Amino acid sequence: MGIKIEDLTVTFRNHVTAVNHADLEIPKGIFGLLGENGAGKTTLMRVLTTVLSPTSGTVTLEGIPYSEKTYETIRKKIGYLPQEIDLYPGLSVQECLEYMGDLSGIPRQVYKERIHYYLEKTNLSEQRRKKMKQLSGGMKRRVGLIQALLNEPEFLIVDEPTTGLDPEERIRIRNLLVDFSEGRTVLFSTHVVEDLAATCNQLAVMKHGKFLYAGNMKELLEQARGHIWICKTKEEGAARELEKNYHVSSKQYIGEELQMKLISETPPQVECSSCEATLEDAYIYLANKER
Amino acid sequence: MVGEMKISLTFPKLAYAVFFAMILSLVRGVSYSNEIGIALEAPMAILAFTFCADTYTQEIVSRRSEIWRLCPMKKRIHFIYRRILIQELFLLTVAAISYGLFFLFQNPITYGTWEKGLESETCLFFIYVAAIAVTLGFWGILSNLISCLFRNMWVGIGGCLVLCLFTNSIIGDRILGPWNLFSYSFRNLEDSSDFSWICGKAVCICIGILAMALLPEIIKKRG
Repeated sequence: MGIKIEDLTVTFRNHVTAVNHADLEIPKGIFGLLGENGAGKTTLMRVLTTVLSPTSGTVTLEGIPYSEKTYETIRKKIGYLPQEIDLYPGLSVQECLEYMGDLSGIPRQVYKERIHYYLEKTNLSEQRRKKMKQLSGGMKRRVGLIQALLNEPEFLIVDEPTTGLDPEERIRIRNLLVDFSEGRTVLFSTHVVEDLAATCNQLAVMKHGKFLYAGNMKELLEQARGHIWICKTKEEGAARELEKNYHVSSKQYIGEELQMKLISETPPQVECSSCEATLEDAYIYLANKER
Repeated sequence: MVGEMKISLTFPKLAYAVFFAMILSLVRGVSYSNEIGIALEAPMAILAFTFCADTYTQEIVSRRSEIWRLCPMKKRIHFIYRRILIQELFLLTVAAISYGLFFLFQNPITYGTWEKGLESETCLFFIYVAAIAVTLGFWGILSNLISCLFRNMWVGIGGCLVLCLFTNSIIGDRILGPWNLFSYSFRNLEDSSDFSWICGKAVCICIGILAMALLPEIIKKRG
């Protein structure tokens, strides 16, 4: 059943509307949420985690509507890894997780077993006695992920878990998310397109508080097909002209030639060839089409 | 409980509390031993509201409060109370040791240690401990409550400082008399049988209990 969002609006006291009449259905499995900084992703997630109450609209989790009365029930079903979290730097990994388990109201024996299991799964068993402040950024995220999984949530929300990590750690976090998505709904929010391309089939693209797209990744790529062009030029002036007239999704020097990837509804007025769209191209195409 | 101690009694906090007590006992002069309580009460109150202001707000600053929100309310409140208790016990220990440090550094004129009656040093010490326990408890709880209400420890510290400056002044003493929060400091030193200052401590206890009762509501609303 997953999560259903209907006509959701969040307006802050300063009259800024972060989420604007948004509709979305999030099925079981890993679901990507893509959008530029300030698109409203974090606000949406704060609503889904019950941290923030929406101005209007409804949200249901497994058929349970979000309201003051149901928050306690809903919270038990949610695991959350915020974007930037500083988990008790003075505690060891084991102490920190035990503390969070105790705080979540999980019986001692149960959380001890789960901590053991997840530390093994995330390759952190050897670091269990290390203090949180001694861990690398990636390790901290992994501990954060374990913390979010301690209550065996039906709905796991992770907010930009790969930001600031090196490629190896990013891949590790992505793979863990895929592993943990089995049997539950995982909402994976990011502005790093590659992370979604490597993990999700379903995704939503957000901009200015609205969903530009929600659905299958293949269909999104299909939408951009025929609108991505590659052209090469040696002249700097011509390159500048192209940049002025088209959206350039990538630039690369190949020998003396500058190869540019252009996004355009119609074929550009220069010599070029059509090419396959990547998720990044499709995202740029979609984001700029709605401008 | 060990985890809670490591979270609430971090090294910088322990260090500034101990140094504060040491420096105070070095620079604040007292002539008689029954003046030590007066010398310590207000500074200890300042230490308490500074020390306890981040009891919960550290969760907000570190962005852990969003995870806390997903945890059962009873557990959250229980954990905050536990932190307050740990901090207050530590502060009480510091306050008791500070009393001893005044003897060490200031060498005040003393009464007989084992003398019977209210003027014996032992009795004075236990009265001081009882009074300072209430003072520390009150200011610690109040500062945490204000910090939680405004989600900012500096508002907690500032709010308590204003109240502290008012009540620990001649104007405060004139207006509130024995009901003053610092009634122990304003007590009549020449009459050791005068216990009217207990009224002020009773006010502290009542407000403290009220603040403890209000905390769950504030945490629920403000997160």
